[in-house]
Amino acid sequence: MADDNIKIVSFLCNWCSYGAADLAGVSRMEYPADIRVIRIPCSGRMSPKFVLSAFREGADAVWVSG
Amino acid sequence: MESKKTGSVVVIGGGISGMLSALDLANSGFYVYLVEKGPSIGGVMAQLDKTFPTNDCAM
Amino acid sequence: MKKPRYVREDRCIACGACTEKCPGKFDDTYNADLKARTAIYVEYPQAVPLKYAINPDVCLKLTKDKCGTCETVCPADAIDYTMTEEMLTIAAGSIILAPGFKPFDPSRFDNYQYANFPNVVTSMEFERILSATGPTMGHVTTFPKLPASPKKKKDKLLAQKRKDPKKIAWFQCVGSRDINKCDNPYCSSVCCMYAVKEAIIAKEHAGNDLECSIFFMDMRTPGKEFEKYYQNAKHKHGINFIRSKVHSVTEDPETGDLTLRYVDELGQIITDTYDMIVLSVGLEISNETRDLAKKLDIDITSSGFAKTHSFEPVTTSRDGIYVSGVFNNPKDIPESVLDASAAASAAGDYLAEVRNTLTKEMQVVAETNVVGDRPNIGVFICDCGSNISGVVDCPDVTEYAATLPYVTVAEETTYACSQDAQDKMVEIIKEKGLNRIVVAACTPKTHEPLFQETLKNAGLNKYLFEMTNIRNHNSWVHKNNPDIATVKAKDLVRMAVAKAALAQPLKEEKINVNASVMVVGGGLAGMTAAKSLASQGYETHIIEKKDCLGGEALKLWKTAQGEDVQQELGALIADITSNDKIVVHTNTTLEGVEGFVGNFISQLKTDGKTTALEHGVAVLATGAKAFEPTEYSFGKDDRIIRTLDLDKMFKENDPKLDTIASAVFIQCVGSREPERPYCSRVCCTHSVDNAIALKNKNPRMDVFILYRDIRTYGERELLYKEAREKGVIFIRYDVENKPEVKVEEDCLKITLVDHVLNQPVTIHADLLTLAAALVPRKDERLANFFKVPLNDEGFFVEKHAKLGPAEFATDGVFVAGSAHYPKPVNEAITQGRAAASRALTLLAKKDNLFTSGTIASVDVQKCTACGVCVSICPYNAPSFVTEGRFEGKAGVNAVLCKGCGLCVASCRSGAIHLRGFDTNQILSQIFALDEVS
Repeated sequence: MADDNIKIVSFLCNWCSYGAADLAGVSRMEYPADIRVIRIPCSGRMSPKFVLSAFREGADAVWVSG
Repeated sequence: MESKKTGSVVVIGGGISGMLSALDLANSGFYVYLVEKGPSIGGVMAQLDKTFPTNDCAM
Repeated sequence: MKKPRYVREDRCIACGACTEKCPGKFDDTYNADLKARTAIYVEYPQAVPLKYAINPDVCLKLTKDKCGTCETVCPADAIDYTMTEEMLTIAAGSIILAPGFKPFDPSRFDNYQYANFPNVVTSMEFERILSATGPTMGHVTTFPKLPASPKKKKDKLLAQKRKDPKKIAWFQCVGSRDINKCDNPYCSSVCCMYAVKEAIIAKEHAGNDLECSIFFMDMRTPGKEFEKYYQNAKHKHGINFIRSKVHSVTEDPETGDLTLRYVDELGQIITDTYDMIVLSVGLEISNETRDLAKKLDIDITSSGFAKTHSFEPVTTSRDGIYVSGVFNNPKDIPESVLDASAAASAAGDYLAEVRNTLTKEMQVVAETNVVGDRPNIGVFICDCGSNISGVVDCPDVTEYAATLPYVTVAEETTYACSQDAQDKMVEIIKEKGLNRIVVAACTPKTHEPLFQETLKNAGLNKYLFEMTNIRNHNSWVHKNNPDIATVKAKDLVRMAVAKAALAQPLKEEKINVNASVMVVGGGLAGMTAAKSLASQGYETHIIEKKDCLGGEALKLWKTAQGEDVQQELGALIADITSNDKIVVHTNTTLEGVEGFVGNFISQLKTDGKTTALEHGVAVLATGAKAFEPTEYSFGKDDRIIRTLDLDKMFKENDPKLDTIASAVFIQCVGSREPERPYCSRVCCTHSVDNAIALKNKNPRMDVFILYRDIRTYGERELLYKEAREKGVIFIRYDVENKPEVKVEEDCLKITLVDHVLNQPVTIHADLLTLAAALVPRKDERLANFFKVPLNDEGFFVEKHAKLGPAEFATDGVFVAGSAHYPKPVNEAITQGRAAASRALTLLAKKDNLFTSGTIASVDVQKCTACGVCVSICPYNAPSFVTEGRFEGKAGVNAVLCKGCGLCVASCRSGAIHLRGFDTNQILSQIFALDEVS
């Protein structure tokens, strides 16, 4: 079960990880609902600023995937 | 005088080859009729699981 | 004739309510008949068009006028039982035939008992068994045809015997290379590779203890990267390859296990038991296609394939009718794709004078200016039938969305992507004056373009749009936690709304396309591409480093179909030189290339003089050359020659040919070796063809071909058959045990171990022809000019191994001929035409080719000209401005920019913005993670 208090911000690359998350859905996999996905055009778009902001906004973890 | 040709093409078969012929022609300035006997296009390639040699998904 | 679907396409929303209730059943052809489907069906979940259809043969309403359930349950009122067949007459200037093939039906082979043994399946069935969307959901199991939860008593009993197989055997050449049990003398070209693939994937699914064995005659892997795939299957994946044709199969009626009897290479009879057998069935032309050919009055071969000329490989015997795909000889996907483009180019050339006469211009709705307006956001929540609303409380989410800042409209819709929902969306946008749109539905990766089109129709800039994924990332993955999924959906909608509020209309820059073409390489492929593009009216420049056109083809005698190469080549060269749209630059090399798609500037050097050529696209067709053998005493005796030398002797009718009493060919010289782990594709057919020519010259001549696998794919197999019938002797050798050549005064002594006799034999020969590999030019300079990749061996790497075989990942650059991979005359010409067709689609868009709107731009006020962006960009998009007010600052080339944002993240001054994914937009999503408290 997902804990209401946990929030993971995930920055997913549009071309790979975002598509993989789509595929997880197509394959009807189940995972905890703690993740909030932010689609970015490429993991190269990631800036430390985003990670820090996410933590400041109360994220428990930040996941960058690309 | 030579009778004037018509600027359209009929492509028979909606498999991978027919679909791509139709796309190329449509993108280069011809009107295309794509004719397929089944209810949807895609052909045999849509039935395949993976493709060699890269093992990419055929879909 | 248009067949009735009995479902109105304009209304069907593909919700699936009808199929849940439908009582009619028939075999699911998509799943190779492995399971049943209802009478009202959709071919497969991703089908286009995604509209249901009724099979009139099994529908109770249409056959017996009973039932009618689907009409009752359909929410969209799409069912129409009164539809009838319609005859449509189409006036067209040309026809392309791409009817494909049907997999061979092995039921008539009594020795494999496909019809009777449940664990003998065809490769097509196995393909579905491996598929995650197939009847067993990718689980490899015996008795695959049984329903997942059997209801009939007999099925239940069988289901108890079901197990995960531990041993699977593939039988090659079922329905191919066989004139005894069926009438298909040709090789189907694809089965060896797909069997290897199926074996590898089966092991991936079932684990490494699954034993896979492939029973074959010759392993035919002559395509690009195929040989490495085969070697990996053998050495890395541990697949067994057994060179034998299985004689018979018997079944243990208790367990369903299968026992095979075969003779191994040493002549011993082996009996072995397997859990499953996959029959690698060949490709066959259906009677329907043969009838079509007859109706259209085009010539076909005895096996039913369309007859074409090697120099016009997609043209049928009738003008204006072209052929593509397997109907034009057995082939796999990339070659079918090349055929497709080539046929399009051939039809296009035939109709060149009437191009653009029937196409319609898209209606463009004038864009409303929203700059400076307060955001006025519309949110649309999609139920996706029950896909989302079955888990997420959509009315609750909609209600919530309406409370968010700037949101004036929040609507729930059953299917946001359906035509009527789209029309309604346009209506609402106009009525309420919305200027930002959020859609919470499925994935933007497939549906964003559709909604953006809707925005355009409503007069909004398409970038004033944000999509959030509450299906794939939410309802589908949290189906057991509806409450949490609803909370998550609200969060996602809030984040999307926050981002949308900051969205700005973006401009797509127009790309100017220079209407001239540069073709590098004046061989067959290059000349073919040039000829086609010139006939469409584009000025084409051929760059050839030698003093004449023709390339390697100048050395060829005849094609596999017997056409005289020099005669045809001469005609083509004459066509090229007399074409006033084509400029031939001989003795010319390429010294540099600048620019990008539509705007290249190349430096050409002719006789020491450099000139600049501006062009919009480029075709690279630099070919390959014959390998210089280092073994078999090559170069030590003039009786040891290469294939092309033998062609020369034939061409010149060399009197020496009349003195030969014994001739030997050695195959794979330099190919399929550790340094060159690829098959050169052309050599088997070439040697077999030349062996036949020698036999025709002197039937008493002894002709031997020493080979590893004979790879006469497609109808080239008929040559192999003819050679054997004419008495050419084929002896197989192992790569570990190569033939040895001894040069003696009166003859060449060639010794090798014969596999049938299992002892050494020595052949006395007067002539030894080495089938030397084709090696690429490995032109790294050229590759760098256009930023295109070379593979390990030095062949160009195309955009996509299956779907982009004639183009590069670099926009505006195309590839053709043996520079891509070794290929015979007809295939080089096909690829030349295909490259031309692909280039034409770009040139034809001259006036409406645009960059993406989501690209980087520099705020020159903040730019410190540090150069980080210039050095970091993988696409060379940023550079220093060289003139004007902002000289020295960075600028981004909109055409080259792929919008990845690497420069934005790296810019230490925060001077670069990524439109559509700007820093403030991403931050706004982060700030909206939690409710504002």
